[in-house]
Amino acid sequence: MKLFLLFLCSGFLLILLQTTLFHLLPLGPIVPDLTLVLCVYWALYRPTVSAALGSFILGYSLDVFSSPLLGVNTFAMSMVFFTAYLSSRYIWAHFFPNLLLGAAVVFIASWVKVGALVVVWSLFMPTKGLWAGAVKYVFLEALFAAVLAPGLFFLLERAQSHLEKGGKHFVAHAPADI
Amino acid sequence: MIAFIRQHQIWMTSVFCLLVSLYILSAASTGRLQADPFGPLLLSSMRPLQRGLQSIVVTVRGIKDRYRALNQVRMENQSLKGRIMEVEARIEELLEAEATSSRLRELLDLKDRVPGRSVTAAVIGNSASTWFRSLTINKGDKDGVRSGMAVISSMGIVGQIVAVASRSAKVLLITDHSSGVDVISQRSRARGIVSGSLDNGTVMRYVKRGEDIEEGDRLITSGLDGIFPKGLLVGTVGKVRKEIYGHFLHVPVTLAFNPSRIEEVIVASASVDSLDH
Repeated sequence: MKLFLLFLCSGFLLILLQTTLFHLLPLGPIVPDLTLVLCVYWALYRPTVSAALGSFILGYSLDVFSSPLLGVNTFAMSMVFFTAYLSSRYIWAHFFPNLLLGAAVVFIASWVKVGALVVVWSLFMPTKGLWAGAVKYVFLEALFAAVLAPGLFFLLERAQSHLEKGGKHFVAHAPADI
Repeated sequence: MIAFIRQHQIWMTSVFCLLVSLYILSAASTGRLQADPFGPLLLSSMRPLQRGLQSIVVTVRGIKDRYRALNQVRMENQSLKGRIMEVEARIEELLEAEATSSRLRELLDLKDRVPGRSVTAAVIGNSASTWFRSLTINKGDKDGVRSGMAVISSMGIVGQIVAVASRSAKVLLITDHSSGVDVISQRSRARGIVSGSLDNGTVMRYVKRGEDIEEGDRLITSGLDGIFPKGLLVGTVGKVRKEIYGHFLHVPVTLAFNPSRIEEVIVASASVDSLDH
């Protein structure tokens, strides 16, 4: 539970950073999506029920802070967690437990998130030029998220180690109880 | 059943979350979700932190803007400095043009006063050797320049033509040790030959010990050498020294100007009369 709260607080901190300091970066309209990185971390290395709920809460918080339509980011983040979790279970996470693999998953997850956003947006609030805008920014956003992912993974792993007081090294796909 | 739920609790939770989010979306898009219970709470709780971070953003942006403005001012400053340099160069050009114009006017005036045939020329080269003092001018045989002609300027005499090409000529300067100009003292009419020397500068040679010559006397061409018109200023007498032995005085001469610095000259024919000086 402590771990869940720590990660949730980290998520809120990341949202704060995304809404403030990250706008200082010279990336134009693109804001690195670190909450997505956190969701992927949860899905890959801490897949629990609370992690799934945490992704939902983070998405909801993103909606509260930045989306005109409640539920868009909630759906997208839940989708990201779900797909990353399923992929990690059935494809590669057992075989390539490292940070770079995590970065690759983040890159793909970013596309999944944008895809989910565009689909639900098109369904519930159709807007002209949505696909074109998504195509324009999705690659760079995914790239930035993937570049930042190893660093954030490392920090989360350290925080987790400190909290558990075990000082254990990075362990991939070690499901923890709620 | 419970075992099944336990085994698949994560993806079931995920699917549940997806369904709930779709419901929220649907409710929000159709306006059925009138009041969001958590949103305002979340916004309020995050507000102080967000304000704090935003103030950092504003400060950093302000610094960036000021830096950018400073950079712009610096660039503008550089550009203006460049323009000032251009304008100064232009002023220099104009001053130079004015000085040239003045010199040419004086030369023209002198040319009018020089009797007989004369050619105006510009200096295109200086001596290439330490041991000789000469100039090259841009007029030659085709312009009527002949060997032995006098080369003068508005300030005094320069030298004489010693070699002529078709479009240029070489001038042996009065400061060369092998040159010689017949001069007289304007005050006492004492006579001598002014020539250059390698060791003592320009001197007036062959002035007898008894001649009346003093420091500061102005020396002018006598016209007796058949080369230079009479009455042209050559220079002034320096401190006269009487040697213990010998028939002649040592008379140093300070030339009216440095002939190696001249830029325009007049080449005058040898058959000349005296000038009004």
